[in-house]
Amino acid sequence: MNPLLEFHRNQTRRQFFGDTGIRLGGLALAALGAGKLNAAAGTPPVARVHPPLPGFPHFAPKAKRLIYLHMNGAPSQLDLWDHKPKLQEYFDKDLPDSVRNGQRITTMTSGQSRFPVAPTMFKFHQAGQSGRWISELLPHTARVVDELAVLKSVQTNAINHDPACTFVMTGSEVPGKASLGSWLAYGLGSENNELPAFVVLTPNWSSKADAQALFTRMWSSGFLPTRYTGVALRSIGDPVLYIDNPPGVSREDRRGLLDALNRLNARTHERWGDPETLTRIAQYEMAFRMQSSVPDLVDFSGESKATIDLYGEDVKKPGTFAASTLLARRLVERGVRCVQILHRGWDQHGNLPSEIRAQCKDIDQASAALIHDLKARGLLEDTLVIWGGEFGRTVYSQGRLTRTDYGRDHHPRNFCMWMAGGGIKGGISYGETDDFSYNVVENPVHINDLNATILQCMGVDHRRFTFKSQGLDQRLTGVEESHPIQALLA
Amino acid sequence: MSLCAADISFNRDIRPILSDHCFSCHGFDAKKRKAGLRLDTAEGALTANKEGRVAIRAGDLKASELWHRIGSTDPDSVMPPPETHKPLSDVQKDLLRRWIESGAPYQKHWAFETPAPVPPPQTSSTPSAPQHPIDAFLAERWRREGVSPGPEADRATLLRRLSFDLRGLPPTPAEVDAFVGDTRPGSYERVVDRLLDTPQYGEQMARHWLDVARYADTHGLHLDNERQIWPYRDWVVRAFNRNLPFDQFTIEQLAGDLLPNPSQDQLVATGFNRNNVTTGEGGAIDAEFIFRYAVERTATTAQAWMGLTAGCAVCHDHKFDPISQKEFYSLYAFFHSAADPAMDGNALRTPPVVPVKSEKDAQKLEEFGTRIQEAERAVEARVKGLSYTDPATLNPPPQARDIETVWLEDGTPAGARVQGSPSWVTSADGPVKSGKSALRQRGDGLIQTVYEGLSLDVPAAAKVFAWVRLDSSSLPKMIMLQFFQGDWEHRVVWGDPDATDWGVKGKPGRQPAGPLPKAGDWVRLEFDAEALGLKAGQPVTGIAYTQNGGTVHWDLAGIGGRVDPARDPRSSFSAWLAQHQGKDSKEIPESLRKILKEVPADQRTPEQTRMLREHYLARVCTDTRTIMDPLHAIVADLRRQRDAFQDQLPQTFIWRDMDKPRESFVMVRGQYDAPGEKVGRAVPAALPALKASGPTPNRLDLARWLVSPEHPLTARVTVNRLWQQFFGIGLVKTADDFGSQGEPPSHPELLDWLAVSFRQSGWDVKALVRSLVTSAAYRQSAAVPPALLQRDPENRWLARGPRFRLDAEQLRDNALFVSGLLDGTLGGKGVRPYQPPNIWEPVGYSGSNTRTYRQESGAALYRRSLYVFFKRTAPPPFMATFDAPNREQFCSRRERSNTPLQALQLLNDVQHFEAARGLATRMMTEGGTRPQDRIGFAFKSVLSRPPSPDEAQVVGEAFARFQQRYQADPESARKAVRVGESAPRAGLPDAELAAYTLTANLLLNLDETVTRN
Repeated sequence: MNPLLEFHRNQTRRQFFGDTGIRLGGLALAALGAGKLNAAAGTPPVARVHPPLPGFPHFAPKAKRLIYLHMNGAPSQLDLWDHKPKLQEYFDKDLPDSVRNGQRITTMTSGQSRFPVAPTMFKFHQAGQSGRWISELLPHTARVVDELAVLKSVQTNAINHDPACTFVMTGSEVPGKASLGSWLAYGLGSENNELPAFVVLTPNWSSKADAQALFTRMWSSGFLPTRYTGVALRSIGDPVLYIDNPPGVSREDRRGLLDALNRLNARTHERWGDPETLTRIAQYEMAFRMQSSVPDLVDFSGESKATIDLYGEDVKKPGTFAASTLLARRLVERGVRCVQILHRGWDQHGNLPSEIRAQCKDIDQASAALIHDLKARGLLEDTLVIWGGEFGRTVYSQGRLTRTDYGRDHHPRNFCMWMAGGGIKGGISYGETDDFSYNVVENPVHINDLNATILQCMGVDHRRFTFKSQGLDQRLTGVEESHPIQALLA
Repeated sequence: MSLCAADISFNRDIRPILSDHCFSCHGFDAKKRKAGLRLDTAEGALTANKEGRVAIRAGDLKASELWHRIGSTDPDSVMPPPETHKPLSDVQKDLLRRWIESGAPYQKHWAFETPAPVPPPQTSSTPSAPQHPIDAFLAERWRREGVSPGPEADRATLLRRLSFDLRGLPPTPAEVDAFVGDTRPGSYERVVDRLLDTPQYGEQMARHWLDVARYADTHGLHLDNERQIWPYRDWVVRAFNRNLPFDQFTIEQLAGDLLPNPSQDQLVATGFNRNNVTTGEGGAIDAEFIFRYAVERTATTAQAWMGLTAGCAVCHDHKFDPISQKEFYSLYAFFHSAADPAMDGNALRTPPVVPVKSEKDAQKLEEFGTRIQEAERAVEARVKGLSYTDPATLNPPPQARDIETVWLEDGTPAGARVQGSPSWVTSADGPVKSGKSALRQRGDGLIQTVYEGLSLDVPAAAKVFAWVRLDSSSLPKMIMLQFFQGDWEHRVVWGDPDATDWGVKGKPGRQPAGPLPKAGDWVRLEFDAEALGLKAGQPVTGIAYTQNGGTVHWDLAGIGGRVDPARDPRSSFSAWLAQHQGKDSKEIPESLRKILKEVPADQRTPEQTRMLREHYLARVCTDTRTIMDPLHAIVADLRRQRDAFQDQLPQTFIWRDMDKPRESFVMVRGQYDAPGEKVGRAVPAALPALKASGPTPNRLDLARWLVSPEHPLTARVTVNRLWQQFFGIGLVKTADDFGSQGEPPSHPELLDWLAVSFRQSGWDVKALVRSLVTSAAYRQSAAVPPALLQRDPENRWLARGPRFRLDAEQLRDNALFVSGLLDGTLGGKGVRPYQPPNIWEPVGYSGSNTRTYRQESGAALYRRSLYVFFKRTAPPPFMATFDAPNREQFCSRRERSNTPLQALQLLNDVQHFEAARGLATRMMTEGGTRPQDRIGFAFKSVLSRPPSPDEAQVVGEAFARFQQRYQADPESARKAVRVGESAPRAGLPDAELAAYTLTANLLLNLDETVTRN
């Protein structure tokens, strides 16, 4: 029996980069006698390194790739998207009890003697054909507003950062579940053979306050096989861990070493017959290819001046949000399934006006540039872009309140996100809140609904997307009923 | 292949189908049950409903509603309903048909039946027949499948396998030679016994248990600060090394604190259930986290010992296994009264903790105790010799006089700690009221200078004062004096009292004193100490000079008051007695306080008066201070030394219950704020009854119940986990799920035999391990013929030896070991070896003490991986890349992935490349002089065998190429041999060493090297 065929039979997407058996480097192929296989079966097709699960996608996807811009710490909906002009009359007046209605609040403000309303100090204006209300803090985003579906009524279960971030990314507050990107990589694979299917970027940020932590569980595969864990590309040091050869070792040295390694490993396979050995040969070859494809990925020198200008000055500094968005475009351009950018520093309990100004400066131009750039390249139509945090912020001020200085506590009951691109209707707004942006009055969007919608765009029925773990069919959208939001879908 | 009816086993063939496709609506969970039908019990399935229809009639397909429903094409009637997306396959339907036809026999779920002693199958007495009971059990399956077991692995491969399995390290070439050369009978058993007795056995076994125990060195949530619980990790290592029986191992971890006079070790062991992730996140709600911790600990315990996924029952009755929601919360009630707080305080040592003392430490502490006692006796002796006349007894009594004590003048008071960066100006550059300088503060917002660590007297009828000078061109919104006496709630504000939100306005915490003083001149501010809640006779230990904006000069601050020696409790004993008589004064030691509180003044015995007087003169009276203070200082100093010594001793998280247990309730839908029915402590009804030692069962009863002979799960789950450890895959593949959603065992009789023998051996773990590794099954060659691979890809039949990739820790340890770099020190605080930049930093909370990774140097770089500091939110890459869990929750089964990121790490990580140079150095210094000898040496070190001629040739050619290349490029050679902290061995030429380094790098990346063959 041909060991290579045997190998294929036994390989069930076992590896992080999937089944690479027939794309072995020339030497490995020769060492394995694969030449004979070619003679017998014709030229093998170029196999996908990350093939989708059988039966996936469930239906024709509107979006093939996802870019998720996560604003970690929870941006204030009141100062960016949720326009509440009436609030100006309520400055420093107590939030009516009828609005708060005894809802739980965090222990950071539960001891406050009163809950004075803090209207935003920022001006709102209507932008685009759609006339969407938007804050002066987002002048660039205002120009792409007709591409966006703005969700004003997103709801979550958790009131603190750690559980809320875990929830928004994995559909559960308790650590141990699989993240959205891992689910996508697992189900849909990726079209790139030299890069991970799920890539995470953690840019720097401008807020001066203590920033909330990130957790690797936000891009962890949880109960899914570990190869679906997001790979965090790094802006300092090697972009992929250990991608560089040690000092004094050249690419030719590495090639020479791998040639000998492949020959010896081929003998090992002859001796033991273990298909893992063939996978290992393939993975070492993949590693070698990554050593050239990754530096190429992070090298922006081929980008036009127009593109650089579009993203702004920051794009030239590695590790900025702008550089990360451009990198995200380059990644999806290369067929990577899911890119997640986690921008920290949005937890503005005090001193909100100056902090949020700095944070918006980080993200506004680059987020808008990403939309423009994707659109110009024809990628927006099948790339889904999402922007948002893990919860919202309170209408009442935490701590000191003046017209130009206030803080806001956590508010899980409603917050704003936007979606754009593949599968999403642009220029719309969905859901409404009351005059205090405290309660949803129309069309709530629970995080599970949001995730169901994302999967829908990607061609996946969230109810049928399960993985058995700990005795249960685990689902990204959990056990409670949830639905894709039809009104958002193009 | 078709099964004849007799072959159908309910537990093996039918229950999995029903469980997966039917139980979620027709199972144990009464709330979700549809049409009142349950299929998980014979009674439910075979009893007719009101209309007379019956789901299953034994032996009668036509009368069985179930059969009609699963075959129906009508979407409204077909089962399972289409919307569940769980259609039955034809094979499954056929199985159900045969089962019904054969009488639909039910069995209790196999794992809930107590394992009965099973004798190993009789084997013939021919020499080739299996001798070992394990093999006798396996032989039945081999016979059934028509396969024969593989030959024994060659000696070298076998020893390498055994050495990794029992020590986590490869054998040395000398060990290999000795074993290969030992042809006497029993040589294998002898080497097994020798390895079981090495201290590395405990390290290897502990690794697996630490995954189960979710051990790590940080709290896990939010800040993810460091936590000190490594003594627990060392306890686990020791427990395996001293072969602590598994029942005792269980009891000490779950309830060591409840044992009579628990030893330090038994308390350390209770750290097991303190290993869960905890939070200190501001704003988190206590009740929620108390609830979550108890749920987590309950679920972990159930899973670790019973293989039950009890977590499902947090929100609803378990759909598949017989654990009701109420039963879950009854189990939870055992863990719900833990004394640790909801908020971990982001502290290194979140109580309860226990110091971990060696014998030497205990001795030293005892010495401190003796010296402190001596010093205290000296205080007592001196007091007895003091002469003192109460001024109240003088006639005439001494005159009262006004005093003023200055607390601040010209700089930081002696002994004080200062916060803020005060700027002191002299009269040359600013206004000064008194002395040489004044404190100038200016800026925006809140500005302050805080002094702490003071001890300042408050006299009677006192007024605090301070001189200030405001600048009319830069007025503050307010100025404020703050005092610390027990807390900071003593504040007085001049100017806008709302320009700060500290304290409550109008209370001692924020007393408005009026408008700002006149600007441009020095003004003396004064305020009544009593209105600030400052108590006379108690020390003020901190002061803050605070303002909101503006420019303010501060000078000469202090306190004024009146001292009347005859009436002042600090100079008159009788005044002091009068002050405290009948009161419960906290500042007085309890025995004396009791006298004052309970004995009327005229009924005090002389002895009581003497005790009170001595206390007064030793600690209260100001007149005797100059004599007594130095003696007190000696005591205080010794105490400080002892405390400092105690503080640097390691401490570790332990379990203790609250004095008064919490009440436990069923939490509706698993919500922390929705208590339902109240529950007591109990175990699930489907399992054996619990014997309580007292009126209410406690954790000790629970632990003993887990290891009781009738318990069907603990022994099975444990032997299965060990089987998995040695054979790569459990007899029950789902080692963490023995419920009906888990896989049934591949060899049920073998599993039961192992479980019963294990229990009957007195839970002897080493004996069990010895039994596993001495079986012929374990000793088989791992070579697999293609036909067998195709039929049994996962090796469930055990007709070949187990072959799998080394674990994360073993890969790193192996490289360190063969390179000669390994530091084998046992135990201690987690170490921080090489780690690429930006693993912790991009994710860490700014205020976390594990935000910045500080690599250590020297021996810490080369310790075994078990001791590497584990940060939960950003685990070490060498662990994460190779499938180690992040220790956020229980894990009993690691994956074994095979990825390019792993290749990059093993090729390029400084730790591995430095190790390659270590091996290269050994090749050149210990491996002979010729390249082929050196390559042979490396093969024996790394693979425990010499190279074949063609392998030697491939490697030799590669080496020659590397050598040529480095001779031509000395600069690259120089760099390549200087990777890592260790210096290249003197006298070895760079080019040659670099070429051997790359050769060693090659050998350390071989598939055979990274695999336990």
